[in-house]
Formats: sequence, structure tokens, C-alpha cells
Amino acid sequence: MQWIDNMLGFFGSGSNIMFLVFALLAIGGAVFMINFTKVVHMVISLAVTFISLAGIYILLQAEFVAVVQVLIYASAITILMIFGIVMTNHQEIEQPLARPLHQVLVVIGILAFFGIVFYSVQQAVFPDSTVEHAVNNTEKIGMQLFSQHVIPFELMSALLTVAFIGAIIIAKREEE
Amino acid sequence: MNVIASYLILAAILFCIGLYGALTKRHAIIVLLSVELMLNAVNLNLVAFSRWGIVPNLTGQIFSLFNMTIAAAEVGVGIAILIAYYRSRGSSNVRDMNSLKR
Amino acid sequence: MEAVYAQYAWLVPLFPLIAFLVLLAIGRTANRSGPVIGVIATLASFVMALLVLFEQTAEGGMAYVWNDLEWIRAGDFVLAMGYEVNPLNALMLVIVTFVSLLVNLYSMGYMKDDPRITVFFSYVALFTFSMLALVISENIVQLYIFWELVGVCSFLLIGFWYTKPEAKAAAKKAFIVTRIGDVGLFIGILLLVWNMPGHAIDFTNIGNAFASGDISGGLATLIAILIFIGAVGKSGQFPLHTWLPDAMEGPTPISALIHAATMVAAGVYLVARTYPVFEASESAMQVVAIVGAFTAIFAALIALTQTDIKRVLAYSTVSQLGYMMLALGIGAYAAGIFHLFTHAFFKALLFLAAGSVIHVLHEQNIFKMGGLMGKMRITGWTFVIGALALAGIFPFAGFWSKDAILAEAYASHPVLFWVALITAFLTAFYMARLFFLVFTGQSRAESSEAGHAHESPLVMTLPMILLAIFSIGAGFFNIPGSDRLAAWLTREAPEHHASVLVMVLSNVFALAGILLGWLMYGKRTIPQDWLSARATWLYRLSYRKFYIDEIYDYVIVRPLRVFGYFLHLFDEFIVDGIVRLTANITLAIGRAGTRLQNGQLQTYGLVSMLGLVILAVAFVGWRFVINAG
Repeated sequence: MQWIDNMLGFFGSGSNIMFLVFALLAIGGAVFMINFTKVVHMVISLAVTFISLAGIYILLQAEFVAVVQVLIYASAITILMIFGIVMTNHQEIEQPLARPLHQVLVVIGILAFFGIVFYSVQQAVFPDSTVEHAVNNTEKIGMQLFSQHVIPFELMSALLTVAFIGAIIIAKREEE
Repeated sequence: MNVIASYLILAAILFCIGLYGALTKRHAIIVLLSVELMLNAVNLNLVAFSRWGIVPNLTGQIFSLFNMTIAAAEVGVGIAILIAYYRSRGSSNVRDMNSLKR
Repeated sequence: MEAVYAQYAWLVPLFPLIAFLVLLAIGRTANRSGPVIGVIATLASFVMALLVLFEQTAEGGMAYVWNDLEWIRAGDFVLAMGYEVNPLNALMLVIVTFVSLLVNLYSMGYMKDDPRITVFFSYVALFTFSMLALVISENIVQLYIFWELVGVCSFLLIGFWYTKPEAKAAAKKAFIVTRIGDVGLFIGILLLVWNMPGHAIDFTNIGNAFASGDISGGLATLIAILIFIGAVGKSGQFPLHTWLPDAMEGPTPISALIHAATMVAAGVYLVARTYPVFEASESAMQVVAIVGAFTAIFAALIALTQTDIKRVLAYSTVSQLGYMMLALGIGAYAAGIFHLFTHAFFKALLFLAAGSVIHVLHEQNIFKMGGLMGKMRITGWTFVIGALALAGIFPFAGFWSKDAILAEAYASHPVLFWVALITAFLTAFYMARLFFLVFTGQSRAESSEAGHAHESPLVMTLPMILLAIFSIGAGFFNIPGSDRLAAWLTREAPEHHASVLVMVLSNVFALAGILLGWLMYGKRTIPQDWLSARATWLYRLSYRKFYIDEIYDYVIVRPLRVFGYFLHLFDEFIVDGIVRLTANITLAIGRAGTRLQNGQLQTYGLVSMLGLVILAVAFVGWRFVINAG
């Protein structure tokens, strides 16, 4: 019973169980996002996905990214989305599917795409890694960010400023 | 089966769900949201490679940070555009946005 | 003697061409000056042609060839364009320009009230140009070009009054029937090009090759017959004669032009021009002679019963062309050309006189005419002269040329001689019938216009008078015993076949014909239906032109029409079906494209995703194949 041994081996590790839980939560959130009919419910269910992804980041020894994920996605972006919904027609609910051909083609295309990705992931061989990112993770990221990646970092700040100003100008109510 | 494969397949699943949402949902906010989901799936890949990749290092995490920044900017501008569009057309349905035809 | 004017012979066709271009350019705005341009251009051509002819007739006149204009070069083969002046075509130039000039003059009166008179004159100019260029062509391919151009012009002019359905049908018929002959000529030219040494196709080399026996036997016969088929089509010989009478639907001056100088003369000219080809083959000569003799008597029989004044003349043309072919076929080259020469004058005269009658009466049925002699003196007398010349009465022009042919026939082919003699009798009879019915007796006209019939204006009678003078005098160029024309044309001393017996016989037969005609239609001592009442079927056979048109209709036209109908069905359903299918497929693709371009971002996203998937599948599949292989 090879697969039972595999199962026991998999569930023998605590991190694997945690991965399973977070992965199920993430996929579940995403699937609910697709299936809910009310727009606000969709945003909330996607927030669940974002938070569980933060958990998976911790499993991958990326605490800083996990924290940023919670800060930006789970809070900022979700809140922004809700504001957006409120400012447009939040009453509107998702209508049933109307274009069957479109729907079928999308499903076929996505399944084929997933099949290809799945096949290539299965084929790929990765070496076992012994790298530890967990120790002083934030410090290390800070060191690299301000030495090696300082120019992209500064560009990013400029980009954020531009996006900020642009968003204000676009969304500004026309006075006249 | 490598450890990383599970992360990659999780990312692929999330990406596909995001793609489905982006291509079928009517409400513009949800389309935007689906795009965010796809970006997240990409981020997950980056972080997974930074831990279990062929050349594991921190660059993957830093890249995902940049990614999030851009996603935040994108959502900000996107929501602003949607609000402006809603004001002028009174609709947030993607189907109504067919001015590309002209 | 150095040829001086011959070097400028190219000017002769050039003037009508310029006139054509000018008339084309000014269009209908110049309905008054247009005819003058046409007349002046043909006059210039005529003067030039006369100079060329005088130079050729002068002592020691030389043939002149200019062919430096390189037209086609393929490897070693060079096809040149140029022109040639020799006695034959110098004579033809004069005939064509003279008749064309008079027809132009005449048309100024005849076509005066036609709104498209400028167009008419431009066509006439083009017609004259084509014929003149045909005459001085230096090689047979060049001749063929103008040959077809002549055909096109006759099409345009026969169908000039295209609002009349008969005129349209006649124009089409003329074009299609002559085209049958042209195909024969074309094949003949191809054979010539193929078989001539060095592929030289200028007339000088052709003449030399056939005279020296380079090409002989069956091949020579074949080429000669094919060329003759072309001539049969153009000159209205049996069995391709049917278009010529129908061509009467055109304006009468055009009938004169076609019958006297341009279209039909081209066939006889072609045979004369390629005469060495025929001389190389005994059997081809026989064919030419027999076809000519048969056409002569056949057309004369039809002419006996026709009621349309122009149709009678048309069949007489067919008959006289038969004489010319007969002459060429029995080796009487000079006699044939001589008859062409004289015939041009009196046939043009007869047509112009008939046109004058029609112009006044607006009537073409001879049984509705009569008694015009008193009212139209000039027309009447010139018509008498033309008729006598055509009948071959001494000393009119027709007598000398017809007598030359008869004398040659008498010496070589007794059977053909008797055929020709009977034809001469028939000719005299139907011309007498025509004259007495039209110009004597009581007017039988139904319309009131006949009551105040009057002479045509001077511009119309002057050409007739000029032609009448030539119809009397042209025969003296070549009276038996001197044979100047024959000596000059062939540049060698001719054989004499002159015979007093033949002269007497032909005159007796012709006078007998006239007498019979007078008794039946003039004095009416013999009732007009004397024969037609006794042998109705004979009369009907002749009246219906031996049912040739009907036979063609049933044997050729209708089967072809049925075949064409099937082709039409094939075209409509299969060819058009394929075309429509292609169009519909394209349309459907286009529709799909527009449906795709619906402005929906999600559709665009879907399409690009599918594209990505297809690319990836192809890539992964390729990798899979590589790995598996």
C-alpha cells in the first residue's frame, strides 16, 4: 500500500498539514468568489484567499511578504474594492450566464491551459534546497532592497505617486 | 514528487480560477478582483521558487513585493476609472463597455 | 527610275487615320465641319495614290519595299513592319481612295440629317485607313491585322443605325460569318510561318518560296485553301455569302464602299496578293475557280427574284466577285484584277444611284417604285450606264473585263465558260428587271412622297456622274489586243486569249437578257408571273435564297444555340456557383470576424487565451514528440 505510506509520510509533517489547510482555504475562497451572486460577498470571500495565501508564505519562510500580503491585499485592496462597489451600483447582482458558447470556450481553454501547466510541473525536476530564509528575513530583505534593488525601489515609489495622483484626477467629480 | 510542485499546482489552480472570473464575470469590480487573484497566484510562484527553486535566494520575495506594489497601484487606478465610467454611463457591467468596437 | 512617290506611299493610309482621330476627338460638336475633314483627308489620299500609280505606270517603274520597322524579335526571327508598293497595290490604292472619296462626297448629302454624321465619317475614315493599310502591307501578318480591322469597321458601319434590330443582327452576322473565314486565314498564316524557310512571311519571300517549289504538294494546297477560306469569308463567296446581302441594313453609301472598294475587294486582293501560293497548287486553283463560278451563277439566280433594290445589287456583287474568283482560279490573274477595277466603278455607281432613289422615296421595295426616269434624270441615266456596264454590253467597262474573263475561261475550262456565260445572261436580265421596274412605267408607290420625287442634290449626283464616266471609259485600259494592264500588272508579256466569238456570244447573251427583261417588265408582253406561276417551287427557291439561311439556322445556329444553352447552364450553376460559394465563404468569414470584433474585452481575452493554449499545446506536443522519438 504505497499510497497509504505516502499519505502517512505527508501527514507526518506539521507543515504539510498546515499547507493543506491553507491551500484548501485559498481555493475555497476563490471558488466561492466565483459562485457568490452578491458582489460584496465575493470580495469578502476573496479576502479569505488572500489571508490563507499569507499563511502559505509563512510556510515558505517569507514572513515579510506574508505581512505585506495581509497589509496590502487583505486590508487595503479589499477595502478599496468595497469602496468601489459602494460608489458604483452595489445593488447589482451577478446575472446567470447568458453566452453559452463563450462560456464553453472559456472552460475548455482554461482546462487545456491547466492541463499543460500541470503536465509541465509534473515533468519538472527541482533539486532539494537547504536554504534558510526564515532567520532575520526582514533584515535580509531590507539589506537587499536598499543595496541591490535600490533603483527599482525608488522607481516603484515614483510609480505609486503617479498612480495616486492619476487615480485622484480620474475619479474627481467634474465640477462643471 | 517535490515539495514545490504542490505550491505550483496550487498557484495554477488559483490562476485558472482567476482567469475564469476575469473572462466570464459581468461586474467590472469582480473582473478586477479576479485579476488580483491571478496576480496573487503569480506571487505565490515567485515566493515558492525563492524557497525551493533551482537557485533559491531572496530575489523572488523582493520581486513579489514589487508585484504587490504594482497591483496596489493598478487597483487604485482601476477603481478610479470604474468610478468615472460609472458616473458617465451609469453602469458597471463589462458587457456595456464595447466602445472598442468603434 | 528611282521610286520617289512610292517612298511616301505610307502617307496614303495616314490621311484617313488622321481624319479618324480628329473626328473622334471633336466628336458630335462638329456635325458641319466633320464631313469636310473626311472629304479632304480622302482627297489627299487619292492625290497621293494617283502620284504613286503614275510613277508605277511610268516606263521602268519599280516596286518599292520598305520594312525597316522592327516589330517582333524572337531569337533569330525578326518580324518587320513596313509597306510595299507594286503595280497591283498601287492600282488598289487608287480604286480604294477614289471610291472612298466619292462615297465621302455622296455621304455629305445622303447623311446630312443624321445626328451622328461625324461618327459616321470617322468610321468611314477608319474603314478607308484599314483597307489602304491592308493593301500596302508588306507581310501577311500585318495584312491580317488590317484585315481584322476592316472586319471591325464593317461591323460598326453595317450596324451604324443600331437602333434598328435588323441592322444590329446584320452587323453581328457580318462579323461572325467573316470570322469563320478569318479563322481559316489565320490557320493558313500559322502554317506559313511554320513552314516558310527562315519563317519569313513577307510577300516577296512567300512568292519566291512557292514559285521555286520550296513548299509544294499537299502543304501548298492546304495553305492555299486556308487562305482562300479567308477570302471566301470576306468576299462573300459561297458558302459564306449570307452576310453580304444582310449588310444592306447599313447606310447605302456604306454598301457602295463595302461592295466596290473595301471589304469584299479585300478577299479578291488577298488571293491576288498571295497568287504564287495558289499557282503552286493545281487543285487549289481548281477549287478557287469552281467556287467562283458556282457563286457567280448561284447569286445571279437569287438576284432574279429579290424585291429589295439593294439586295438585288448585293447578290449581283456576290455574283461578280464569283467572276473575279473564277478568273483568278483559271489563271487569268490580270483579268480578275481588271474586273475588280471596273466593277468598283459601276457597282459603286449602282449603289449610289440606288441610294439616291432610296433617299428620295424612303422605300426599298422595287415593286413600289416605278416611273422615276422623268423625275430623276441624272440618277436614271447614271443607273442605266451602271446597269449596262454590269450586264457587260459593248463598250461599257464591264464588257471588257467580263470578256477578258470569259475569253480565258473559253480557252481553258469550257464548262466554267458556259456557266459564266449563263450568269452573264442572268445578270443582264435582273439588271433590266431592276431598271424597268424602278425607272419606267407607272409609279406604284404607296406613300405620298413619290408624287413629288425630285433629283438629289449636286453633292450626291456629282459622284454618280464621275463614276458613270469611269463606268464607260475604264474598260479601255485593257482592251483585247493591247493588254496593257495585264502586261503592267505581271510585268511580262501576257498570252492572248481574245476571241471574237466570245465577244459576240457574251453580247448576244447579255442583250437577250435585257430584251427578256424589257419584254417582261418594260413592255409587259410577257406576263411577269409567266415562270413563277408555272414553276412555283423554282421561284420560291430563288426568292428564299435557296434556303441557305434557313439551312444554316437549322444545321449550325440552332444546335450551337442548344449547346450554348447547356454551356450557359453550366456557367450559371457550376461556374457561378463556385464563384458564389467563394464569395459566401469569404462573407461568412467576414461575418465571423465582425462578430469577434464586438468590442467585448472578455471576448478578446478569450481569443488571446485560446491562442496561447494552442501555441502551448503545439509546443508541448512538439516536445513530447521529440522526447518520445
